Amino acid sequence: MSDKKAVLKALNEKARAIETLAEGEEESARALQEGPPGMPAGCTTVFDTGWETNPRPTYPVGNCQASARDFHGCAGDCWWPAQVPDGLTNHPDVDKQCPNVARDWRKLQYD
Amino acid sequence: MRRTSLIGVVTALAVGLVSFQASAKDLFYYIGNGVIQVIDGDTDDIVADIPAEGWLRESALSPDKRYLYVTARRHLIHKVDLKANKVVQTLDVSGGGWDRFIYGFDVAPDGKTAYASIRARTTEGGEVVVKPPRLSQLDLATGKVLRTLELPWDAATLTTVRDGRMVYVIGKDLYKIDVSDDQMRLVETYPMYEKQMNFLPFWNYAWENGGVFMANYYTPELMGLLAIDKKTGEIRDTPLNGIPVFAYSVIYSPDKKKAYGVMDELNVIDLETKTYESITVNHQGTCYGINVSSDGSKVYVGGGGSTVTVFDARTLRPLKVLQMATDGMDLRRVTF
Repeated sequence: MSDKKAVLKALNEKARAIETLAEGEEESARALQEGPPGMPAGCTTVFDTGWETNPRPTYPVGNCQASARDFHGCAGDCWWPAQVPDGLTNHPDVDKQCPNVARDWRKLQYD
Repeated sequence: MRRTSLIGVVTALAVGLVSFQASAKDLFYYIGNGVIQVIDGDTDDIVADIPAEGWLRESALSPDKRYLYVTARRHLIHKVDLKANKVVQTLDVSGGGWDRFIYGFDVAPDGKTAYASIRARTTEGGEVVVKPPRLSQLDLATGKVLRTLELPWDAATLTTVRDGRMVYVIGKDLYKIDVSDDQMRLVETYPMYEKQMNFLPFWNYAWENGGVFMANYYTPELMGLLAIDKKTGEIRDTPLNGIPVFAYSVIYSPDKKKAYGVMDELNVIDLETKTYESITVNHQGTCYGINVSSDGSKVYVGGGGSTVTVFDARTLRPLKVLQMATDGMDLRRVTF
């Protein structure tokens, strides 16, 4: 970190804010791994990365087939909030808009 | 005369038993989005739709099989009258400025209360406040929280055991909660995380399995089955031999000599040899839920996508593919 700081210089307000934070401001966010809860909130109830991320180097490999069949399972519980609607907070009614993804995917409206 | 009467009574009882067995009927409940669809196990036709608000998740059956409780959007609890095929009550655990999310739910053996593991969040001064999960006992008639116990952060799925004297909660480890006294207490932790056991136990078929909660887990090397006898509280771990298959959910055959698992394939597991007997591709794609007819002749897979495939349990050939109204989460069997 100190090596990087020696050669990098903050040029704008945001960069200076980040630098200030790094120099001793109270943490406002932290990685979940640092605990508690101590594990990343992922796909399984042990809040580890789950079935679909599949860390194994060998069989079984692959995600759900077709991925649309896993859409509502992931949307409702907010497992992949960057990829599918977040059913816990921002899109609790996603099931009304698109109850059957294979049939209704054209009706999906979310950011 | 007395002997004749005795024979008559025995005969009548025997006939009654035969007629009871003959009249046992399977109904399958497809847990969908905004709807529960009922499948007749004799004809494998959809015979009823039960509107139920929200994306649906856990389900638990009342002891008299009259009501199915189904959680929705992680904060609603629908009470479904299985005679009327209708939601007759909906409880909401959110309120008072708090969002609450149910990640484990089971009806107590008394049928009057339920246990839920609930996470809560709110905002204070623009900051998100998240509370550790709590085990809550709920009055099913009023929704009133009768008592709570703070749980470890990872606690989620749960099941009642030992006639309701204990609740087992699954997270990184399995937490045994004594609920027999006024004050609920964590009395034992069954280690799983240190054994590298990774669970997604959202599907369990305790009443279809004759009172055994079962979920599959993975380690970096293998798939195993963790079974909890709800009557005794005994935990049985069955690591399986061979390269693991992918499965979201698993269920016993009625004779418990086999288990079936499903994700992209229908997997048959020989429980005597603890090996995978067969792997059959489900051409409809990934399924979350699995179930078995009460006579063991048919296997049903469905949810995830909007299909239910009925397999012949002996030949593993698909007998029928049902197109459901919505995508779904699970498939439960109630035998009347």
